Amino acid sequence: MTPRSPGEGPVSRRNFLRNGARVAALTGVGAVVGTLVHRTSSQTTVWQIDPLKCLRCGRCATECVLDQSAVKCVHSYDLCGYCELCTGYFVPEPNALNTGAENQLCPTGAIQRKYIEDPYYEYTIDEALCIGCGKCVEGCSRFGNGSLYLQVRQHLCLNCSECAIGRVCPGDAFRRVPVSQPYLLKTSH
Amino acid sequence: MRRGDALRPAESSGSNGSRRDFLRRNLQASGLLGAVGALAASGPNVRAARSSAENPFAYDVGKFERTDPKFIHYEETARFKSPRPEPRRLALGPEGALHVAAGDSVVRLGEGGGVDFEIALAGPAQCLGVARDGLLYVALRDHIEVFDARGQRTAVWSSPVSKTWLTGVAVGEDGLFAADSGGRAVLRYDRSGRLLGRIGEQDKERGIPGFVLPSPFLDVELHRDGLLRVNNPGRHRVELYTASGDLELAWGRPTAAIDGFCGCCNPINLATLPDGRCVTCEKGLRRVKVYSALGEFECVVSGAESFAQSVPPGVSMAKAALDAVADARGRIFILDPLAGDIRVMARKREGASS
Repeated sequence: MTPRSPGEGPVSRRNFLRNGARVAALTGVGAVVGTLVHRTSSQTTVWQIDPLKCLRCGRCATECVLDQSAVKCVHSYDLCGYCELCTGYFVPEPNALNTGAENQLCPTGAIQRKYIEDPYYEYTIDEALCIGCGKCVEGCSRFGNGSLYLQVRQHLCLNCSECAIGRVCPGDAFRRVPVSQPYLLKTSH
Repeated sequence: MRRGDALRPAESSGSNGSRRDFLRRNLQASGLLGAVGALAASGPNVRAARSSAENPFAYDVGKFERTDPKFIHYEETARFKSPRPEPRRLALGPEGALHVAAGDSVVRLGEGGGVDFEIALAGPAQCLGVARDGLLYVALRDHIEVFDARGQRTAVWSSPVSKTWLTGVAVGEDGLFAADSGGRAVLRYDRSGRLLGRIGEQDKERGIPGFVLPSPFLDVELHRDGLLRVNNPGRHRVELYTASGDLELAWGRPTAAIDGFCGCCNPINLATLPDGRCVTCEKGLRRVKVYSALGEFECVVSGAESFAQSVPPGVSMAKAALDAVADARGRIFILDPLAGDIRVMARKREGASS
């Protein structure tokens, strides 16, 4: 038995159990209240990336708590130039302007290129393959119109109370937005 | 030992905390706090610079940002700040007076670089040109305003179509040529503002492929040989047209290498030297180069390493687009809107080291 200091009486089994029950009850109440508070705030707001602040640092691909990030590249078609030499699709100095893997910038081949008419091509993101690394976003933003950009896809996001990516985002681009307007979209207007 | 003694390790270990120890511990703690504070206070750009070095998905064009010194044939002889914020385009007057379109105004600079006169506009000037007789033609987005040499407005030429987006002006003896990015054509006017024709529109019978403009960067220059120089950025080339719209020559190729035009769509702005050589400005890899009259790469005026290359997030490409003009002495004035600077570049003397 653990030696006790002089002046402290022995703890009876009844007191021990009663104190334990109190602590457990308080813990339970705290957990319920915390969950309610979190759910209330997470039901009204969600995480989103401000595309005008995003620095394309690559952390969206590596910091999300999900195995594959909830951040994906999205495409604003009304901003796109439908370029034959799309700098979001091709590596900086491609061997040829075709769909050869060696010419593609995306590390997972998540961008589909489709011929429209000379010399225009349409580019589509395959979200199942996109890891949100932002490499194409940087290529498009640096040389082109910035029609490719990153967004948190809400059907994938766990809406953590503290976003693991937002915590390390160097551009402070993560912010809470109303659940009724969960995306910060770029438009030509 | 009393309860709580464990919280006082100095006493429990038998040594009293001396004043020296106390100060040393506090200095260490404040130093640590200072370092944490400095990191937290560092702006997004500082943190971004750190993160880009760690980014396994970095978009790397570093090797194209360094210019082989043997290609740099110009040196900077002067640099001054734009007289007004948000500078956009440059033009030279008949006496070599530099005109700067900046914000909602056009400023003419005097001999010493001071403001000679300023014209306030109703909106941002997209481009401008000065005739030999001193008349100033300023294109706002969808129309042209004409000013006399004293800065008094004498005429307004309204827009020919609703989607007009004027981005270049060249003035000749008999007419004016306005590059319309929205309409993908160069508009030919007489000096009274009457529209005479459209140049550069797709026409298979005349062998004209048409302008490809992913973004509004269509420029036009008129040389004294009578030929227009027009950039076709989506096709990565410069095209030469007669005033009547015949395509005489086209040159340029897409590549990030120094002899071509980089990215999706370049060059964005042009200038012509007195002997017909062409000065090109690029975006993405922000650099200024010179090509022969037939389009052979000749040299670099200012390489990519001499400009800030990353456009800050939220800043449109149009507000970072380099522009250039060349004077009768062959000097090249380069406007860098990001830095708000105008550089004066002169050809290096033979034998000068780079």
